[in-house]
Amino acid sequence: MTKQLLMATVAASVVLAAAPAVAETDWDSLLGDHSGKSINMMVVNDPYIEAIRKMESKFEGLTGAEVTTDGFGYDPLHEKEILGCSQQDDQYDVLFIDGIWVGEFVEADCLEPVEDLWGDTDPAIIAWDDFVGSIAGQAQWGGKTYCLPVGAYWQVMHYRKDLFDKAGLKVPETFEETMEAAKFFTNNPDYPGMSGYAMNNRRGAAAGQQYFEWIYSAGGKPWESNYPGSEEPYADQTPLLNSEKSVELVKFFHDMVAYGPPGGEQYQWDDRFNAFAQGKVAMINAWSVRTPGLSDPAKSNIVGKWASAQMPHAKGEKTVPPVGGWIMCLNKHSKNKEAAWDFMRWFASPEIHKEWAMIGGVPSRHSAFQDPEIQEKLPWTKELYTAAKTAWTEGRPRHPLTFEMIDAIGLQVNRAIIGEATPQEAMDTAQEEVTEMLKSEGILK
Amino acid sequence: MSASETAIARPASRRLARSKERMERLMFLVPAGVYLVALTIFPFVYSVYLSLHQAKLTKLHRMRFIGFDNYAELFTDSLFLDACRNIAVLTVSSITVEILIGFFAAKVFFSLRETRVGAVLRSASIVPMMITPICIGLIFSYIFNPNLGIANFLLGEIGISPLGWFSDPSLALATVILINSWQWTPFMMLLMLAGLMSIPAEQYEAAEIEGAKWYHIAAWIEIPAIRGIVLVGIILRVIDNLRLFDIVYVTTRGGPGSSTEIVTFFAYKQDFQYFQVGYGSAAAVVILFASVIITAITVKYLRSAEDD
Repeated sequence: MTKQLLMATVAASVVLAAAPAVAETDWDSLLGDHSGKSINMMVVNDPYIEAIRKMESKFEGLTGAEVTTDGFGYDPLHEKEILGCSQQDDQYDVLFIDGIWVGEFVEADCLEPVEDLWGDTDPAIIAWDDFVGSIAGQAQWGGKTYCLPVGAYWQVMHYRKDLFDKAGLKVPETFEETMEAAKFFTNNPDYPGMSGYAMNNRRGAAAGQQYFEWIYSAGGKPWESNYPGSEEPYADQTPLLNSEKSVELVKFFHDMVAYGPPGGEQYQWDDRFNAFAQGKVAMINAWSVRTPGLSDPAKSNIVGKWASAQMPHAKGEKTVPPVGGWIMCLNKHSKNKEAAWDFMRWFASPEIHKEWAMIGGVPSRHSAFQDPEIQEKLPWTKELYTAAKTAWTEGRPRHPLTFEMIDAIGLQVNRAIIGEATPQEAMDTAQEEVTEMLKSEGILK
Repeated sequence: MSASETAIARPASRRLARSKERMERLMFLVPAGVYLVALTIFPFVYSVYLSLHQAKLTKLHRMRFIGFDNYAELFTDSLFLDACRNIAVLTVSSITVEILIGFFAAKVFFSLRETRVGAVLRSASIVPMMITPICIGLIFSYIFNPNLGIANFLLGEIGISPLGWFSDPSLALATVILINSWQWTPFMMLLMLAGLMSIPAEQYEAAEIEGAKWYHIAAWIEIPAIRGIVLVGIILRVIDNLRLFDIVYVTTRGGPGSSTEIVTFFAYKQDFQYFQVGYGSAAAVVILFASVIITAITVKYLRSAEDD
């Protein structure tokens, strides 16, 4: 971890030294004329999609290319992208993929490596070292850079500052303190209709990802060589899903249901955000893409009443913030590669990235986090930047079985949460299933 | 041409005309044949072929023949077994509810058959059937939303604590059954109404003269008369339920736990989320054979019932 911090600090210093990182670029001379061409993009239907759409016309004005952004839900996006790729479909030129899918997409031969494209592009345009390290790694596979990590998310905990201040409660740092605070707000006559903590409990990707989001802060690890700072996180993938720390964590998820909102066992990303934004829960952890919505009166009843802190950790452990988000990739089967690449390098550049972050995009670059205008408009990014710099790149496993593995774990975690199995039974099953899965792929013997 | 040559030529030309006619007839069958082969036979054969292989869509070049291993694995896969159990419970419960409520609704509409109100209500009652299941799923996810849904609001008004319609594992399957039955009860009702309308008026008159009560009429006249049509309805609903997907996809995604996992959703996940097309095809083939067997048994029962 110390090494990571050091590298991140050095990278940030390099970027700052090379100021002005966010200098005005002469895009007219840099980008080609793509009049009459169209660039189609597939993007997840997360809140930042509106900010992407706002940028479309700007690129059209510069190059003449028409940009269309289509949004899909998380599972349908994965399905549509892989099916399209298997049929060598060229309908979409630019694919946003979850960073953890990169191995699956590379193995399916869906992606044109951006490393092969940037050639003589001014390094300041790509500014690779300016991407925060914990997300930059997710755009690489087998030592090669395949995509641009423009849509990074990290998680911090959001809490109702007004209520915590009124109650004189300390912002929780450990799991125990979190549970105590959650218990305090639940069924409390002073806070009618309020619950303590909304988690991502729904069966499948929601619960599966939640497991990976918390396991390192619980002092555990999903498999033998996957731990923060590991030099070779994929060297030994013997699962540790039924280890003591792992089972304890799942028990914590189960116990927290009592302090969650009604129906919380079926909550996923939007549900927990909406419950918090409506003022129905005192705490959530959430991906940073949704955070701006908490300050938007159209989406939030708690504008000015909330604050952020690092996610909690088990006693005696350290918080390892989750990293996730989206990498922008070029479809190998695109017939518009030149125009699409121009769009990608333009969109990902520090200058345009800042513009995007200011209108609802997600800061993914050091320069964006350090920008005074962004800091003033989005003050919560200060806490987020701390999380970004300490996150573990491999926190969610990146390999060709990722989707299946997370779904299988998500089923078992959810079974434990709803009491269909004990945490030990559920995680024993998860251990068995994931082991089988890895064996069938020849990853384990 | 001599007379004998003409006699030989005539059968030959007749044969030619007949084979031309046969060709013409066959030509009319070609579009249907192509359709059948392309959209039914080939996908089925290819599914069976895939089901005998370990095949992942993203790595089809590494596909390998494994015989019946996928099937063997399927029947030891606890999630698939849960899915089979759930679909059996869902099918039997939904159809039972549809028949019971459908029958009483059909009786009401039958008694109102000559009124304008009856005609209007009959048309209105079939609206659920005409809405796509995906919309039904979305509508009911709002209705049963634990915090904002009208269902829990109404329960609250009468002093009942909010229910976890989709989040409580003991309630989730029942909620899906409720939605499914709500959509398809009108179908059963319409079938039974048609059956009731086909009963000769004399039978009712005779029953009235004999002083029969409504339940006597139902048991001795109406139910035997509509038994055949109800069996047809059951066959169609069994097949429909075996391929039920949308409502579960939108409302529960098979959860919580495995409480609403159903076979189509299981196959969908294998095929389109994990891209394990070999294993997913095995599940699809099992679903197909289950449909065929259940339909064959029901048809056989229907025939023997008609013979009686």
